[in-house]
Amino acid sequence: MSVHDDPHAWQRPAPGRSGGGVSLPSWRWLSEAMWRIEHSFGRARADARPEEDTRVRIFVILSLFSAVFVCLALGAANAALLAPKGGVGSIGHPNAVSRADVVDRNGALLATNIVHYGLYIDPAEVWDRGAAAERIKRVLPRVSMAKLNRVLSGDRRLIVMPGLTPGERAAVHALALGGVSFEPEDRRVYPLGASATHVLGVTDTGGQGITGAELAFNQEIRDAGARGESFPLSIDLRVQGVLENELARAVAETQAKGAVGIIADVQTGEILGMASWPTTDRLNRATSAHYEMGSVFKTFTVAAGLDTGRADMNTLFDASQAFMIGNRRITDFHATNQVLTLEEVYLHSSNIGTSRLAVEMGPATMRDYFRRFGLLDAAPIELHESARPRRPTKWDDSTLASLSFGYGIMITPLQMSAAMGALTNGGRFIPLTLRKGGRPDAQVRQVVSPQTSLTLLDLLRRNVVRGSGGRAEAPGLRVGGKTGSANKLVNGRYDPTHAVGTFAAVFPADGPVNARRYSILILIDEPGTYPRTGGFVAAPAVGRIADRIAPFLGVERRADQYRTALGERIPAFEDVEGDGR
Amino acid sequence: MRALGTLKRVFDWKVRGVRWVEIIGLMLVGAMIFSVYLAKAAAASESARIARLERQITENGQRVRLLRAEAARLEQPGRLEALSRMAGLGPVDVRRQASEASLPELAPIPEPSPAVIVAPTPPAAPPAAQTPAAPAAEVAQ
Repeated sequence: MSVHDDPHAWQRPAPGRSGGGVSLPSWRWLSEAMWRIEHSFGRARADARPEEDTRVRIFVILSLFSAVFVCLALGAANAALLAPKGGVGSIGHPNAVSRADVVDRNGALLATNIVHYGLYIDPAEVWDRGAAAERIKRVLPRVSMAKLNRVLSGDRRLIVMPGLTPGERAAVHALALGGVSFEPEDRRVYPLGASATHVLGVTDTGGQGITGAELAFNQEIRDAGARGESFPLSIDLRVQGVLENELARAVAETQAKGAVGIIADVQTGEILGMASWPTTDRLNRATSAHYEMGSVFKTFTVAAGLDTGRADMNTLFDASQAFMIGNRRITDFHATNQVLTLEEVYLHSSNIGTSRLAVEMGPATMRDYFRRFGLLDAAPIELHESARPRRPTKWDDSTLASLSFGYGIMITPLQMSAAMGALTNGGRFIPLTLRKGGRPDAQVRQVVSPQTSLTLLDLLRRNVVRGSGGRAEAPGLRVGGKTGSANKLVNGRYDPTHAVGTFAAVFPADGPVNARRYSILILIDEPGTYPRTGGFVAAPAVGRIADRIAPFLGVERRADQYRTALGERIPAFEDVEGDGR
Repeated sequence: MRALGTLKRVFDWKVRGVRWVEIIGLMLVGAMIFSVYLAKAAAASESARIARLERQITENGQRVRLLRAEAARLEQPGRLEALSRMAGLGPVDVRRQASEASLPELAPIPEPSPAVIVAPTPPAAPPAAQTPAAPAAEVAQ
């Protein structure tokens, strides 16, 4: 076959005329170029140089192929050398998991994902069904025998039990039974068991958080898992462990129905430990239970009085007789029957004194300060469980008097912890957080002046040294705090057998307002032993906790003006009441 | 012009009717095909190895997770405290705690006693007197 074309073999259109209806300029240019080449063949033949014609054709085809190959080579080189990172082959992180490990602030594991196995049995491949069932039951006691027999007597492969641990899988696998197979499934595991369970919360089988931090940080935990990283909480597992152990001990000693413990860094709002007892109860009492906390509120009343300038430490309050508001008669638990200074009012925990102060300040001031301390709103924390308080509906003098010593308002322990933090860090209300390093978008508001904060710190310390909180003393750790004791409302009246004992502490209480400082709140719900006051049921636990966590937190034992570093008294002070109320 | 002529001669140089240029081209193409084959085969075995290693990493990662969880369970503070209490241990009393700085007060560094050069005892000395002298000399050094 010849490559030489007959010039008359087809109707050759004149140059410059596009064919096929294509009228784009580029197409016109291309067709013109082609026809020019064809014409050159024609011309070559006309000039009696047919070999030129062949060569030109070969050259053209060669050029075209070369161009195509050069393009391909460039493309291949580009793909091989300049491929973007993270392209094919590196989709996702090799350590990626559906949910990140949750760790404490030092990296100790709190929650992780472990591959578990579903146990499947195909009865067609089982030789002796009775023996198989018996042997599986022996190595896997928690399997349901009814389910096992139902699958074994069926006719197709079915799941017997999901969520076998790798150990259980190995045990069943070692039986070497026919027809038994396993399917991997990702499961959320909490290796600490009941420890920190209320902080962590749980996830559903689909890997979505339901409660606690798993719900609060759901998306962030998933994102961290996709990056192959772990998600740190502000919790310190050592502190959490001490808190839980001491809380359990306090509950055992007082035969209480429940208990709450919260330890927080007052300067950053980070929660270092949070426990709610009993751990089997799904209710997180720290975030969701409401309590009238009693005398702990006197701290806020006194702080408001000092901050407004309405009172100073030497202002006198007449507690020589009961304070009458209408028909209501307010008395002291241990009547002193004398005129007291504000400091004595606080150290004697005088209801009359704080009631007088609250009524003097009036509803607007009290409401303003309670709102600023966060006592009228749910505690700001990431946990969705944080409940709104039960607030008073009217703010008359009687209510003000009740509020001044912690009745008439039911708050969550978390609110109390946040308010104590604000009082002892220089007066800044810092939202509590479970995020390591504190909240990035924390909205800090000034509640009281730094001077008031310093005064209250000293007052709290004095209350431990010579007031009702003596049992919270930890040698050299300068613990300050206020007891709270309240009776619960049972069938419409306050029942002294259903009490709540609280101790809200801070340590170390000395030093400047911005010194590192930690708050400890212990609340014992319905203690069964007598006396049921906070100074007896909650304060000892606070002292023991402070004593044990101080080395973890780097708090050194030092002497202050009241006690030596070993806890020996400098002047001989006595518990002014001896009742720990 | 002359160079063009030389080039043409080289281009037209034939062996048994086949141009050298074409033979060389064919050899080059053959070499290229072979090298591409080698490269592809090496890449395939490498990617298989990578896949194997990645699978191994995943398996090891899962095992590490399992062991970490097991370690966390065994080291949890509640369990450790229960075990310690069973072993009769408890928090250290404040009076028995000391910082590094207070160590010299608790146990003063003993003054180095002057080195005593023990004179060679005469062989006539009784052995009872010689025995206590020997440890003293060792301490002094």
